[in-house]
Amino acid sequence: MKSKGELQFDAVVIGGGIAGLQSALDLGDQGYKVAVVDKDATIGGKMIRLSKVFPTLDCASCITTPKMSSAAHHENITLFTYCSMDKLDRENPERVVVKLTQKPRYVDPDLCIGCRKCEYGCPVYVSDPEQGGFNMRKAVYIPFSNAIPQIALLDAENCSLCGKCARVCPTGAIDYFMKPEKFTIVAKTAILATGFELSPMDQKPQYGLGRLQNVVSSMQMERLLAPHGPYNRVLRPSDGKEPDSIAYVQCAGSRDKSLGIPYCSRVCCMYAIKQAMLLSGALPLADITIYYMDIRAFGKGYEQFYQNAKAMGIEFVKAKVAKITQGDEQTVKLRYEDQEGDGGVMEREHDLVILSLGIVPQWDPEGICNVSCGQDGFIQSSMPKIAPTVTDLEGVYTAGVAAGPKDIVDTITEAGAAAMEASNYLKGLGQAGQGQEETAEAEAGA
Amino acid sequence: MSDKKNKKMEAMVIKMLRQERADSIARARAAIKEQNSVIKAIKEVLKAGPKTIPEIAGAVAMETEPVLQYVSTLKRYGIVGEGPKDGDYFKYELLS
Ligand SMILES: Cc1cc2nc3c(=O)[nH]c(=O)nc-3n(C[C@H](O)[C@H](O)[C@H](O)COP(=O)(O)OP(=O)(O)OC[C@H]3O[C@@H](n4cnc5c(N)ncnc54)[C@H](O)[C@@H]3O)c2cc1C
Ligand code: SF4
Ligand code: SF4
Repeated sequence: MKSKGELQFDAVVIGGGIAGLQSALDLGDQGYKVAVVDKDATIGGKMIRLSKVFPTLDCASCITTPKMSSAAHHENITLFTYCSMDKLDRENPERVVVKLTQKPRYVDPDLCIGCRKCEYGCPVYVSDPEQGGFNMRKAVYIPFSNAIPQIALLDAENCSLCGKCARVCPTGAIDYFMKPEKFTIVAKTAILATGFELSPMDQKPQYGLGRLQNVVSSMQMERLLAPHGPYNRVLRPSDGKEPDSIAYVQCAGSRDKSLGIPYCSRVCCMYAIKQAMLLSGALPLADITIYYMDIRAFGKGYEQFYQNAKAMGIEFVKAKVAKITQGDEQTVKLRYEDQEGDGGVMEREHDLVILSLGIVPQWDPEGICNVSCGQDGFIQSSMPKIAPTVTDLEGVYTAGVAAGPKDIVDTITEAGAAAMEASNYLKGLGQAGQGQEETAEAEAGA
Repeated sequence: MSDKKNKKMEAMVIKMLRQERADSIARARAAIKEQNSVIKAIKEVLKAGPKTIPEIAGAVAMETEPVLQYVSTLKRYGIVGEGPKDGDYFKYELLS
């Protein structure tokens, strides 16, 4: 593997989720040289891990993979995956310095052809978070079938160092001695698109502290619904039963001061409705219930989406779930206060319960970059009304859920806006993109 | 350097790495042992014909949850396949 040292770009995008990729593509298309940095071994962020997306019910992979692939093959975009960011400093108006560590894959990316012979040969099975922990991968593996880049990585913590992967690898790519490597990216502008994670499953004692069987997170449910999911169908994780009765607990990690997440996570109502619709397609005989405080169908066509779900027979119960416990025969018991009908405290059992957890920032800039965050921890805009992607660091912009919970449509719009701000900033420095320079030259010559 | 010398050097550095990672290697080896015995037992049960997760779990005296995790993993790596449905459960069969 070649050593990277110090690399120069026009722009650096931190985060290769859909926000970062869209910003990078917009800048790259204008002729700017862009670096995309991701801490994961693959780009694509959450979107590539979803099943289908509201409100169109497009297959998430079918619309995310082409974007990932365009970025990977773009002549002006360079991807840096599996890198941790140690520091991002705006040194002067023309210099953003990003200090990075390339984490060791123990696989030479220049040699690996993604054949997965190592993965099939490896004798160690490890619980796979990419599949919600419902099945296992090997100690050396490719994250998933549409990961980009398709390069294996070895999980040294779980490796027995038996040498089998090195023996079966046809290109000699396995390198047990790889070390973390520091390198630097210097750019003129930066976009922070570090996205989100879900609030923890074990936060709420009333909801069983993540220890109850058949209580799963909304992201785990995305995997159960995905075509290449852990079971290739929806089954109850405790014993493989096809569930007859499935329930969603809304606001399970949002609008709750006791959890430090007083805000609405915006997308949970819509993704719960989406998942419920997909479930009713996959399991036509199952009863599906959504326990909600109020439904926030905020976007274009979203109210209709909600009404369609009701018409499909999905039951909406206006209630705050107070307690979740284990029921008989591996069921899950919900205790809730019914706010409609007869009212009062009710109890019901379901085969499978999904917690619509809260959306929290994935990255805390503290000690790494002195961009300001709001009280909620998301990156703060210095002009939220008229230029929402502008931060308080000159020439540093933000896009997507890094700046606050939002859906894919709003993420894409914001990513485009951040790219436009960055491109204007570069132009202000007298830096035109390659294509633009050529056009200007042609016009001058004409 | 000759091939023989190269091989000797390689063996020496691998030995050093094994010392450095002794704890995680010991854990991984213990995991392989445990996993192999469970997989062997599941495969043995499935040799007699397709079975549901509760049936496999009963036969190998394990909880159903880890058995489903194993069976879905074996399915992922092409060792087990999904068979016919039996009530609310699917049966799984040995492929290789
Ligand atoms: C269960 C669920 C279902 C959803 N379904 C839908 C839907 O159907 N339709 C819809 O419109 N929206 C949906 N959403 C919302 C959607 O997922 C987000 O709008 C979208 O993924 C946001 O993209 P992003 O790029 O901002 O963030 P992310 O997808 O989180 O990407 C952030 C990227 O940044 C990287 N990163 C983070 N920190 C660092 C760091 N320090 N250094 C380097 N890289 C870093 C991460 O590895 C990741 O690749 C859903 C959300 C959830 C939780
Ligand atoms: S050396 Fe490690 S990763 Fe490679 S096959 Fe052996 S256990 Fe698996
Ligand atoms: S490391 Fe080798 S065996 Fe593994 S995927 Fe890459 S080329 Fe194939």
